[in-house]
Amino acid sequence: MLSLRELQLSFATAVLDGSGAAIAPWIRDSGLDPTARINIYRNNFREGFLKALALGFPVVQRLVGEEYFRQLGKRFVSEHPSRAGNLHHIGAPFAGFLRSQFADTPYSYLPDIAALEWAYQEALVAPDAPPLDLTPLRAISPEKLAELRFALHPACKLVSSEFPIVQIWRANQEDREGTEVIDLRAGADFVVVRREADAVELRRLPPAEFALLRTLSRGATLGDALQAAQALAPDFDLPRALRHFVGLALFATVHTPNTQPEFQDMRGTYP
Amino acid sequence: MSTCSSTLSARARERSAPVSSQAGIGLRAQHHAEILQRRPAIGWLEAHSENYFAHGGPQREILAKIRAHYALSLHGVGLSIGSTDPLDSTHLRELARLIRDCEPVLVSEHLSWSSAGGRFMNDLLPLPYTEEALTHMVARVRQVQETLGRQILIENVSSYLQFTQSTSSEWDFVAALARDSGCGLLLDVNNIYVSAMNHGFDPRTYLNAIPREYVQEIHLAGHTVNVVGSREIRIDTHGSQVCEPVWALYRAALLRFGKVPTLIEWDTDIPALDVLVAEAAKADRVAEDARAIAA
Repeated sequence: MLSLRELQLSFATAVLDGSGAAIAPWIRDSGLDPTARINIYRNNFREGFLKALALGFPVVQRLVGEEYFRQLGKRFVSEHPSRAGNLHHIGAPFAGFLRSQFADTPYSYLPDIAALEWAYQEALVAPDAPPLDLTPLRAISPEKLAELRFALHPACKLVSSEFPIVQIWRANQEDREGTEVIDLRAGADFVVVRREADAVELRRLPPAEFALLRTLSRGATLGDALQAAQALAPDFDLPRALRHFVGLALFATVHTPNTQPEFQDMRGTYP
Repeated sequence: MSTCSSTLSARARERSAPVSSQAGIGLRAQHHAEILQRRPAIGWLEAHSENYFAHGGPQREILAKIRAHYALSLHGVGLSIGSTDPLDSTHLRELARLIRDCEPVLVSEHLSWSSAGGRFMNDLLPLPYTEEALTHMVARVRQVQETLGRQILIENVSSYLQFTQSTSSEWDFVAALARDSGCGLLLDVNNIYVSAMNHGFDPRTYLNAIPREYVQEIHLAGHTVNVVGSREIRIDTHGSQVCEPVWALYRAALLRFGKVPTLIEWDTDIPALDVLVAEAAKADRVAEDARAIAA
């Protein structure tokens, strides 16, 4: 007799991997054979997964078509089965999976679209945080400014691509026909995905502003981030960029050198 | 241990007392705005817990607004309580936080499992009805109740197969689980009917085996009939109206258990809000009639 543990592992092998030999002898054959019974569960599992994936990545689905999306989804789930009871998380490895499938093909923009859609999903459910108050910074001496570290608002995600992904994304929203011709060489996109009130917004940034933000998002100091921005735009206007970001509520916290330990503690809480 | 769960149970019963005598409906995102705008006359709303695990953003806000006007129950679909994998502490923590935030009148999970070896099937998979599985379920339900600091309800699921190992019927298993863990029961009358048709037992035998005091909620939903091979199999899709035999079984359940908070579930091909409100009104009429018969 199988233990409960063995029964569940064998059942999972049947449902997820399609090999029911181990569990079939433990299923009653009453009017319908065990394999057909297991297949009901295998089918329910697969349809549920594909439906959730399509809900999270409607633009990718529209770009490749429903039938091909299903094929991709089936391959994806066999490599990246769900790891949590909450289906929201299944989309995390999808962009990486598509990258492995489409790198160096004419469809290499697809993984970037998936990354954008995942950022969108993440921004939608990220924690709330009050907008950053810059008043305390007035007390900081100018030579210390370069030492500041900014933490991005949790509902603010950064995505970049060598393709015009925002245009592709917009042209493939539900209310658009999707017939627009887009030149894939139209230029790179540097996108900040942010939540404002109840909605998620995609906003394209100049490359240097994006570089500043991305460097800060990795925990670097303002001084280092400025260098990254200046490498792309030698006359980069830092005060203007910061005002822009604060206006968009892209920052949650700022840490001066003496509050740095607290900042390091907090970093762990952001995904 | 038993003292602890009975205290828990008494406390939870007090808290769950104000569930409406009017039928409720499942809360689905498509209906959020309309519910807030129109405030239909329904008893209460039931949310799938996992849909509101977000830490911020619109979903949580909307749930809070809805909670201001309606009693709310939480119905989990992803805890995998019957799995032999360890309970997911993150999932439980999220559930505890949601409970703290929206003070639900009832909290329920399923008599099922959905993960093994860390892989999730995100489906409600059947357990074998053995001593080992009962001991396991009792321990897990207690663990969840202790973590959440309240009683939970466990719901029976539809099944499409039976394990040769089972030494007990599902109804005896369910009753023993409630007795030994201190959980309440959410009887899904549609699921009882679906499993009865699929496995060839009398659904009334099931109802009659469940002690009255355990049942704190009833679910009603639609299912589909599929033909597999040459055999009809009923699949629990929650995608249509409640069928006549399930209404009949609901009447039988009301006569046995008295008036129990009843909820209309609809999860696929979700119709206009009015259709759900009409189903809930029908459940209320059926309950009225049953009361008249009983009196």
